[in-house]
Amino acid sequence: MSTAQNYRTINIDTLDPDSPQNFPLPTLLPSTLPPPSTSSAAANTATQVRQLLRSGDATGALRVVLDTAPLGGDEGAKQVHLATVVDVLQGIRQGEMGRVLEGVLVGEGGGERGDCLMKYLYKGMASTGPGSGSQSPRKGISPQSTGFSQVQGRNLGEGGGGQQMSVLLNWHEKLVELAGTGSIVRVMTDRRTV
Amino acid sequence: MATAEVHHLFHNPIADHSFSSDKKTLAVARDNNVELYQKAGSKFSLTDELKGHEKTVTSVDIAPNSGRIVTCSQDRNAYVWEQTPEGWKPTLVLLRINRAATFVRWSPSEQKFAVGSGARVIAVCYFEEENDWWISKHLKKPIRSTITTLAWHPNSVLLAAGSTDSHARVFSSFIKGIDARPEPSAWGERLPFNTICGEFLNDSAGWIHGACFSPSGDALAFTGHDSSVTVVYPSAPEQPPRAMLNISTRLLPFNSLIWSGENEIIAAGHDCEPYRLRGDESGWQLEGSIESKAGPGADSIREESALNMFRQMDLKGQSQADTQLKTVHQNTISTIRVYEDANGVVNKLSTSGVDGRVVIWTI
Repeated sequence: MSTAQNYRTINIDTLDPDSPQNFPLPTLLPSTLPPPSTSSAAANTATQVRQLLRSGDATGALRVVLDTAPLGGDEGAKQVHLATVVDVLQGIRQGEMGRVLEGVLVGEGGGERGDCLMKYLYKGMASTGPGSGSQSPRKGISPQSTGFSQVQGRNLGEGGGGQQMSVLLNWHEKLVELAGTGSIVRVMTDRRTV
Repeated sequence: MATAEVHHLFHNPIADHSFSSDKKTLAVARDNNVELYQKAGSKFSLTDELKGHEKTVTSVDIAPNSGRIVTCSQDRNAYVWEQTPEGWKPTLVLLRINRAATFVRWSPSEQKFAVGSGARVIAVCYFEEENDWWISKHLKKPIRSTITTLAWHPNSVLLAAGSTDSHARVFSSFIKGIDARPEPSAWGERLPFNTICGEFLNDSAGWIHGACFSPSGDALAFTGHDSSVTVVYPSAPEQPPRAMLNISTRLLPFNSLIWSGENEIIAAGHDCEPYRLRGDESGWQLEGSIESKAGPGADSIREESALNMFRQMDLKGQSQADTQLKTVHQNTISTIRVYEDANGVVNKLSTSGVDGRVVIWTI
């Protein structure tokens, strides 16, 4: 009897090899993906980048942090690196944004750095909470399986969260001016997540 | 800059359009039917309707020499229409697919056509004399998702396909008894049916919307939802390509593209205007729009009288009605096709889009 009752709760899509749920997502990753990295490697980069930032080389810091994005890394590495990127972005004054951004987007791989920064802007906006976005992503917070959450997940402009959001939005505006809407579209299509 | 000849046919999206070889007939896919327009003077007027599909028609193609029309639809069927004294007569094609048919194109030889579908197969269809019907053979492996676009190589054997699994692939669709043995090329030497001559993926992935072989067939270009165009130059069979160049743009994604010469590509899509790309194996650049911006959109902005301004402010809360785009097309362009060419150099092309317009461009 117990198996008979279970029929209703079986997710039949997982049993069907042709179902979109079983689509092999790794096939969308290009062969140029960097090798896997861990959070300790990301922490090392973070110290390096903070040093650059302290010495006043904002453009260099942003360049390095975008070039070393752990596209093939695990979730821990990605979270640590996100915190570093947000720190760098917050460490640059609004008046300097345009100049720094132009410096980052020129040269070889400039377009890719722009796309990478856009990914971090969206990821930064998606991760809630004050501080540097080092908390777990939104997914885990939702109390119901519907995925909707009214209480959490909103930034009510209090504390660091709201301030971080306004910094990210400022960067977003500047980046769209320089890199165009194409880079927003690529955040959605690119499977090399940050 | 290009000049545009605009034909605003109706206020519905045009999924696909095709001109006959004499450019007098225009077939347009509209909802469940295909409408045929005849050129009368400088205008196109509706003369015939091809009715038979039960769901949205997704693609239509007129064979330049035989004049046969092939259509396919979301009702999983394809028809070949032939003109008889009593009117257009449809013949059902045995596609054997269980999902919508998405795209159809005649091969240059006109002996075959290929139908892409949501069933993760490409049906390569040919006419079987003894049974007097169109039958199909399936290209299956290694397609993992819906086919969105197809393009034929000039040799009528190689077929490029773009898919929602973000890959562009080149297949052999060689059918014994129909095709002549193709010349060996950089794509492959021996080409039995379903040989995979190339499989390409962009770094930033994205559904493939459009693909096209260069006039010589020695290069392939495809465009995807990552707002980029990729050009592939194959080196030798079974070898990685000689060059694979990705041009990522700051624009919205392109839907369709054609080569207008060996070193020039015209692509159009969600930005509502065609763009020109130029380059060769060492690199490609986006040149910019082919539209001259002082075009019809701009001069249709009428001089605003004070009365009109206050009336607009009263009615709509704004002083100017800026509902018109500055481009010729007023919505996404879905299909771009060669209209007229000479020795592989295109001097006229046609576009159709969601705004119900068909535009003929002279470049």
